[in-house]
Amino acid sequence: MIRRLLHPWLTVRTQIALGAVFVAAALPKLADPPGFAEAIWNYQLAPAWLIHPAALTLPWLELLCGLALCLGVWTRAAAAWCAALLLVFVTALSINLARNHPVDCGCFHTQAAARSADERVADMRWAILRDLGLLALAAQILAAGAAGPRKEA
Amino acid sequence: MLDWRQSRVPKVAALISSLTPDLSKVLSLLAAALICAGLANGLARPERRLDWTGWAPPPAAAPATASATAPATPLPPPQPPAARTQVPAPAAAAPAPAAPRKAPAPPPPAPAPSRFAPSAGELIRELSSEAALEAFRLKLPFLDARRSSDYEDGHLPGAWSVPIWEAAAPARITEFEARANPSPQSPIVIYCAGGDCEDSRLLARKLVDLGYRNLFIYRDGFPDWVKQGRPQERGPRP
Repeated sequence: MIRRLLHPWLTVRTQIALGAVFVAAALPKLADPPGFAEAIWNYQLAPAWLIHPAALTLPWLELLCGLALCLGVWTRAAAAWCAALLLVFVTALSINLARNHPVDCGCFHTQAAARSADERVADMRWAILRDLGLLALAAQILAAGAAGPRKEA
Repeated sequence: MLDWRQSRVPKVAALISSLTPDLSKVLSLLAAALICAGLANGLARPERRLDWTGWAPPPAAAPATASATAPATPLPPPQPPAARTQVPAPAAAAPAPAAPRKAPAPPPPAPAPSRFAPSAGELIRELSSEAALEAFRLKLPFLDARRSSDYEDGHLPGAWSVPIWEAAAPARITEFEARANPSPQSPIVIYCAGGDCEDSRLLARKLVDLGYRNLFIYRDGFPDWVKQGRPQERGPRP
């Protein structure tokens, strides 16, 4: 079972899927850094000095990691970044969910949608589940690399 | 169970150790992202640019809902905004001339009704839809805190665009001060998209930091203005 889960055939497809998601998530943020900064601020977690640098850098990090995964370059480093980012996203969403502070995810768009608090909470739950699924993909890539490190470009 | 542990523990250790050689690549990805971010931000249009050390209030300081916001701590004495107009605006961020268009001395403000008179205890107050219309008829200055693109799609006639999340916001405030020449006690109305939009509160707090003491937030914002069928303008700021 473990051998099948770590099979190179599956790993390549996992890399492409995870990479494509990260590229798709990065593009709207790259197009609108102020909007993404506002999305980060809405989480009410990051210190003020970190909001703008994070809004400028995170989308590029997502894009580069996504491209690296899709192209099969530096896959373990990219998967490690993806896992770290996903952990941060899940933690941030969970904290706001726990303190009943509905926020727009800001995952694939930067403009806040006109939705009710209940709709936002539901979206946050789905976003957490989605991020946990993506985290499993990143873990598969890391585990496959650990089980049989391949020569990377 | 013991066999499970014996077989998995080395794999977990291998997983952790396998990441170690990638540390240089991990850092390289971060460095590449920082370089790309710096280049892209430098080349971005003003409405999509962010200052690396931009102003943002502490998250906890922005109330989600409040009828009026009073300072929690003693504030510094008001700084005459007119003095700051001597500082020239950055040329790239403020293409419009910083000098007043008309006479250097603005006309003395008409006696403000009591609704818009300064209040000692409240620096920032909320306005209802009807009060916002009254302020508009009295020609009080309106500041639009939404994004530039939203402003271009429609705004209150004569409103000043001060998109609080864009890098151009400080220059827009300077331009507003130079051309409207408000005093610290002048009533200023701020609006954004209503609802849970916090942009107008952020801009109000920024103006309080700059010395203004008589600010009003149009609670329901531009969507309410449109809903009431009131006049609006489209296009970029003049």
